[in-house]
Amino acid sequence: MLPFLLHKKWWVLALLMGMAVLFFIFSARNQPVDFNAEVKPIFNKKCITCHGGVRRKSGFSLLFRAEALGQTESGKPAIVPGHPEKSEMMRRIGLQDPEERMPYKHEPLTKEEISILKRWIKEGAKWGDHWAYLPVKPTEPPKPKPIFFGLITPKKPAWIKNDVDYFIWDKLQQEKIQPSEPADKATLLRRVSLDITGMPPEENIANAFLTDGSDQAYEKLVDALLSSPHYGERWAAMWMDIARYADTKGYERDGDRSIWRYRDWLIQAFNEDRGYDRFLIDQLAGDLLPDPSDDQFIATAFHRNTMTNDEGGTENEEFRTAAVLDRVNATWEGLMGTTFSCVQCHSHPYDPFTHDEYYKFMAFFNDTRDEDSYADYPLLRHYSTQDSLSLNHVVSWIGKHGSKDQAKEVALFLKTWQPAINSLDADQFRNSELADTKWLIFRNHAVARLKHVDLDQKNRLIFRYAGFVKGGDWIIHLDKPDGLILNRIRLDTTKDYNWVIRQTDIQPAVGIHDLYFTYENPHLKKPDESGCQFDWFYFTRSLEGKREPGYDSIQKTYWRLLTAEVPTTPIMMDNPADMHRSSHVFERGNWLVQGKEVKPDVPHSLLPLPPKAPRNRLGLALWMTSKQNPLIARTLVNRLWEQLFGSGLVETLEDFGTQGAAPTHPELLDWLAWQFMNEDQWSIKKLLKEMLMSATYRQDSKVRADLLEKDPFNKSYARGPRVRLSAEQIRDQSLMVSGLLSERMYGPSVMPYQPKGIWLSPWNGEDWKMSAQENQYRRAVYTYWKRTAPYPSMITFDGVAREVCTARRIRTNTPLQALVTLNDSTYLNAARGFAFDMQKAAPNDLAKQISNGYKKMMYKTISPEKLLILEKLYKEAYDRFEKEKDKTCEIIGEMNQYNNPGTAALVVVANAMLNLDEWITKN
Amino acid sequence: MTQKELRNQQLLQEANERTAQFFTRRHFLKESAMGFGALALGSLIGGCGFDTAGSVSTFDPAHPLAPKLPMFPGKAKSVIYLHMAGAPSQLELFDFKPDLMKLNGQDCPQSLLEGKRFAFIRGVPKMLGPQASFKQYGQSRAWISELLPHFSTIVDEVSFLKAVTTDQFNHAPAQLLMHSGSPRLGRPSLGSWVTYGLGSENQNLPGFVVLTSGGKFPDAGKSVWGSGFLPSVYQGVQCRSEGDPVLFIKDPQGMDRDLRKASIDAINAVNEQEYSEYHDPEILSRISQYEMAYRMQISVPGVMNINDEPDYIHEMYGTEPNKASLANNILLARKLVEKGVRFVQLFDWGWDSHGSDANLAIDIGFINKCRQVDKPMTALILDLKQRGLLEDTLVVWGGEFGRTPMQENREGKQNPFKGRDHHVDAFTIWMAGGGIKKGFCHGETDEIGYSAISGKVTPYDIQATILNQLGFDHEKFTYQFQGRPYRLTDVHGKLIDEIIA
Repeated sequence: MLPFLLHKKWWVLALLMGMAVLFFIFSARNQPVDFNAEVKPIFNKKCITCHGGVRRKSGFSLLFRAEALGQTESGKPAIVPGHPEKSEMMRRIGLQDPEERMPYKHEPLTKEEISILKRWIKEGAKWGDHWAYLPVKPTEPPKPKPIFFGLITPKKPAWIKNDVDYFIWDKLQQEKIQPSEPADKATLLRRVSLDITGMPPEENIANAFLTDGSDQAYEKLVDALLSSPHYGERWAAMWMDIARYADTKGYERDGDRSIWRYRDWLIQAFNEDRGYDRFLIDQLAGDLLPDPSDDQFIATAFHRNTMTNDEGGTENEEFRTAAVLDRVNATWEGLMGTTFSCVQCHSHPYDPFTHDEYYKFMAFFNDTRDEDSYADYPLLRHYSTQDSLSLNHVVSWIGKHGSKDQAKEVALFLKTWQPAINSLDADQFRNSELADTKWLIFRNHAVARLKHVDLDQKNRLIFRYAGFVKGGDWIIHLDKPDGLILNRIRLDTTKDYNWVIRQTDIQPAVGIHDLYFTYENPHLKKPDESGCQFDWFYFTRSLEGKREPGYDSIQKTYWRLLTAEVPTTPIMMDNPADMHRSSHVFERGNWLVQGKEVKPDVPHSLLPLPPKAPRNRLGLALWMTSKQNPLIARTLVNRLWEQLFGSGLVETLEDFGTQGAAPTHPELLDWLAWQFMNEDQWSIKKLLKEMLMSATYRQDSKVRADLLEKDPFNKSYARGPRVRLSAEQIRDQSLMVSGLLSERMYGPSVMPYQPKGIWLSPWNGEDWKMSAQENQYRRAVYTYWKRTAPYPSMITFDGVAREVCTARRIRTNTPLQALVTLNDSTYLNAARGFAFDMQKAAPNDLAKQISNGYKKMMYKTISPEKLLILEKLYKEAYDRFEKEKDKTCEIIGEMNQYNNPGTAALVVVANAMLNLDEWITKN
Repeated sequence: MTQKELRNQQLLQEANERTAQFFTRRHFLKESAMGFGALALGSLIGGCGFDTAGSVSTFDPAHPLAPKLPMFPGKAKSVIYLHMAGAPSQLELFDFKPDLMKLNGQDCPQSLLEGKRFAFIRGVPKMLGPQASFKQYGQSRAWISELLPHFSTIVDEVSFLKAVTTDQFNHAPAQLLMHSGSPRLGRPSLGSWVTYGLGSENQNLPGFVVLTSGGKFPDAGKSVWGSGFLPSVYQGVQCRSEGDPVLFIKDPQGMDRDLRKASIDAINAVNEQEYSEYHDPEILSRISQYEMAYRMQISVPGVMNINDEPDYIHEMYGTEPNKASLANNILLARKLVEKGVRFVQLFDWGWDSHGSDANLAIDIGFINKCRQVDKPMTALILDLKQRGLLEDTLVVWGGEFGRTPMQENREGKQNPFKGRDHHVDAFTIWMAGGGIKKGFCHGETDEIGYSAISGKVTPYDIQATILNQLGFDHEKFTYQFQGRPYRLTDVHGKLIDEIIA
């Protein structure tokens, strides 16, 4: 050693090394303070409760830089950039006197914290934006860098299969963890099929993969599954939690709502791989697109899944407002991974959103036609193909003989009965009221007002009403109860007191007026008896082209279409100008205390609305799907990752803010988000494929001892995902393996078996009527979802009631779950079907029956140990049924060819097999 | 990356991770042994400006119902909440108003109607005097009507809250408010909060059991025992007197207990094989859940069966085995609490005495309802007492609101029978056991029982008091959801100190 040290050359080297070390230390010391990493956590933890979005004690807030540096009540600036010694904040946190020291009446800051803040102010008190609110930037996967001046490119590690893996590999290297080997083919087949289609693969797909020894076998499998129609069903089911899809309206009455066409739209949109940008635009603002198609209208039912309160005596405006606020919260939480509902009452305590901004954002949703009406207006009316042709004919006729706008108006009215004035908007009642706070009713000598009606160019009134007593005189007055009479209309009893649509001409008037209705009916003898009730009023003009040939037939078709009883779907629609609803800040979140008026806008801390974007939901949708929007792509990427890997790269799917979890692999999240928006053109299938083709996804899921120690929650992804299946997947796969599953797609929701007494709503005559035949065994996504009494087995497996948007289901593990798969008759029937199949395939060979069955479930050969256990169970059961023959029929369920101890015992075995952990878990 | 940067990043990561883990399940799997591992993290969470230090959150998905300690030693261990759905009239039971009798049949003074909204009363209704006679009972000299002859013997065991008010005059929202602290759907119910905070003493029974009688569910449906945003494991498990006592608890026909045992043993044996291959701790918890399911299958039907109770108990409660009745449910409530069930919630439907038909008439159907409840609720208190359970069982009795001193005139016309409309400004709730004062009365209404004049309390105050008796500070007992810590009492609630022993 010594001669080396004496050698001059080594001295030089040592010197150089020493300098490098010094430089390293020096530069580390001079590294500026990182606001997000060092300063913000101190603020959030120690200061912001009193000096933040909610409270601004002494006029000081640390939420935004401008506030932090601004004037405080004492007049002493809290933070003077560059001058810690002049900053009041530094003085106060350094004091000894607990009466003056900050944080007030709490533990003082640590020396380190004080030193961080001091250096930070000295360096200019630079503010930093939270990662989630900065646009996604292009990133490169951390591939090994060429060394020796680019002459040698290190070999790609053999484990790596695609770019995703570089990110995972890189972190595993840092953490000194080895990734896992690929899972065996059988496990992978089941995993990827459950992930892509939500159920086991169809036989041909499975066999093709298992017998294909080529390198492309897996990719072919992924492609085949991605193009299966069941793909759409699986991902729609996920989206329905975000959309809070349900088949009922919620609240006490919780009556039926026909909105399943939206579910079908979702399935189709996923299957067609509609770009995620289009997918969102259609759902948020399909109605505002030029000449929206029926499909685009149906897509807007996304935000009509809010609850409607049908209970008598409830304030419609209150529940309309509740629905609008819910749209705001669901849009942020479900689509932008941001908890926004706290901003309803005050500025966000941690993240850069102010109180006003909540209401500016709300204004995008507030000017819509829906008003908590019983019928859930506005509704899209679904005509038969024949009628749709007739409708086109009417519309083009009007277009020919009137204006284009008039043609549009007619088309919209026939399709939606809009924009009509709901009778629940009436007021100033005398001998009249809103029956059940829903519909305007008249008693004798009634008066009521309909305010602010645009009568310009209108000469006709179309209205929907029900007459209870004949001989009523309804008179429409202008401006006052005894004002100019626009028309006098005789209202008689309608058939079975049902709703009827009628039209009448009215005196033309100019401009906007309040209308006063009066009603006299000599047949009404008792003062409290009502003569009629109204649903809505539509002021319009008579159809164009009166003198043209064919007018009568057009008029007739028009009327037939208008009054046709057709199925409907609730949709979004904005108010026309004359029905505009202004938006206000609600003081402390209380809808009754309206503050200043606000116009639609987006939070200033994110990107501005795109230039030329209209200030309505369409503009909002364009803003959301702009590639500059930092949240949309990241939120979806994270959600898909969570669906495949069991937890998100950001664990808190619902909160990317500073209080949420930090991403475990921020670069990977951004790389995927960038790919998704730019390379893949928002294709969800491509994004999924990128993840599915990775070595990371394909790993074995066994929990190695070192992993249990170092990474028990698999945050580094050194093994494959292993999580319990969702409520939907558990049902679907058991039905499928037993041959019961109906593969029929689409249509009204179905009511499979559920025990009696789940529905006992006091004021609602509706009932759970078991669906017939194959509808008993449709995929879970088609199950009727009643908010106040959801399908019990789904709820037991952590399904949600879908009253509001649920960004993430929390998985639990309870004995009630075991009871479902052991005893629910759906699962018993599945066990029966499964047992019959096992038996048929290998009569008289028990071992073969069980191992075939196991193979059908798991695609692999059962281990001798497991087989032995199940054979033992069979024998025990067999002996029992042999002794008590009457029980075989009970377990078999019916008297048929299977009614023998052997089959009965096999049903018991099948029931056990469908309860195995490996079956209800994705391995 | 420099050391400093690395360290910073780690720090940030750690802080964020700890925060995130606070409300994600996976953390608690790790922390389950500590139980209160998360307690200290509470201070990190703060949100919406509320100091959440000391909030309890101990959700362990593998053992979500394992017994846990409250924030401070509570006086009650379990709760039996008897909810008379539809809202019984306080004026015929507890709130004696002789002056109202004098006004009987007179038009209601306009001053009482101004600015008020009623569910059904329109125009000017008539005043309706008490439809029962009252006497004073016990050392506490509590006024009780003739409709509760049994109950009148135990008034010295209970505390009356005579000036309860609410702001919801429809059943569903008022019931939701009473049980979840919000008139809207989506919040966890009282029982869910309690089982979330305390777990259950008996792992073979659900921790939060719901029993309904009267032929219908309460108006708010199952949401009134829902878990809202808490994990679904904390929702009330409805035990039914007909069909399976708990959904799917019965083995399929033809599968006897031994065979079920054999099959669960087989499932678990295969799962153990699976564990030896995968080493995933989740497999072990699945095994234990299946074992628990098996035990539950025995214990639930056992505890739900009242046939084996001695005759004197049946006599005392007025129970008739094999029939769905309130009395049976009240006896079951005692059995469940005795077995360590944390929260038993009863709903009895049929108290909505509008006078719109005979069943809902204050002088007909209502009397029947009183008969149904009087004997068993009295028996419950006496029985709990004789078993030494009353001390740590909190019993709460009441409706979602009260009833008007006016006779209902639906849509302005006289109802066919005598009845009263919904009333939010004054009603009576009583509590007993669990560290509540004995023979005490808090709050007073005006001379006609229309408004609270002193000792006014709200549903939030009652919730705060129930939580307090169980050992929780209602202001600190929170759960993080939608970016902020939620609590049962939201931003309201004040402990009713006066009735605490």
